[in-house]
Amino acid sequence: MASSNPKEWRTPPDPSPADLARAAAGEHDAFRLIVERYQSMVYSVAYNLLGAHVDAEDAAQEVFLRCYRTLPQYRRESSFSTWLFRLALTTSLDYQRRERRRPEPAELPDVADGAPGLGEGVDARTLVDALAELPDDYRTPTVLRDVYGLPYQEIADLTGRPLGTVKVMVHRGRAALRLRLRAGGVRGDA
Amino acid sequence: MECTHCHGQLNRYIDGELGYVEVAELQQHLGFCPDCARELRELSALRGTLAAWGGTALAPSPGFAERVMTGLAAEPAPGSPRPLGQVVDETLDTLDRALGHLPLPGGRKVPVKNVIGWALAAIALVEAGRRRGRREREARSW
Repeated sequence: MASSNPKEWRTPPDPSPADLARAAAGEHDAFRLIVERYQSMVYSVAYNLLGAHVDAEDAAQEVFLRCYRTLPQYRRESSFSTWLFRLALTTSLDYQRRERRRPEPAELPDVADGAPGLGEGVDARTLVDALAELPDDYRTPTVLRDVYGLPYQEIADLTGRPLGTVKVMVHRGRAALRLRLRAGGVRGDA
Repeated sequence: MECTHCHGQLNRYIDGELGYVEVAELQQHLGFCPDCARELRELSALRGTLAAWGGTALAPSPGFAERVMTGLAAEPAPGSPRPLGQVVDETLDTLDRALGHLPLPGGRKVPVKNVIGWALAAIALVEAGRRRGRREREARSW
């Protein structure tokens, strides 16, 4: 299976091997450092997949709970941030299958690291609303592909859908988003 | 009205999935088709917007880390035997991932594992009824 590859500039540096070993041994102070360092990354993944603040916080808590339980199984085959990013993806998708509420377009999370450059005429409000209006079948693969840059095959593996279906869903998701954002200013006229 | 000549091709183009000849044909078409050229510009801009959003760190509500740590207080140490309920929850999640969902009318979906569970329950009921009927027939014959 292809590996997830979160962008380097978004992910915090890995904890030291000593800190990871202490956290894996159950030391809460060491694990708290992990939570504080990665809470924004994990919450962002959950929010972008679930589209509702309450769900995103519930799922993010579940991510850290699973992280705590499975930390002894982390084998350093990838960086810790990549391992945790993948755990955040699978846990959020599990949460979505189980008990997700519908996205609530009225809520907009705080941006932790300043206003993003989303393109001319597009603000976070417009984009969050447009994503929230997408059906889950389009939203999830489109977020995985274009927000997080995952390969199609990995999206198929994560969502349990055939590769061809995933591609069609992404194409439809892009088309729906493109139409919704036209009014918001994503025209590519530059 | 938008051109349908390169329907689907533009997505494959920006995903880098077209072959050399297909790219050359598409680029030739884009040279004289303003509809497709505009759609390509919009798709490219959209991908840039979504990628920028993916690099945006969103913040959970204040006190999130504290709530996580409070939730961990009742957890056994990592690697120790897990409670049965937790093992069952994780197994059901794994089954959901492995088996997927079946679409229902109205856009709803049902987990395949649930369908299998219902089928097994139905088989068990039928089998129980069959055995009961057999016992009753045997009792009557005595």
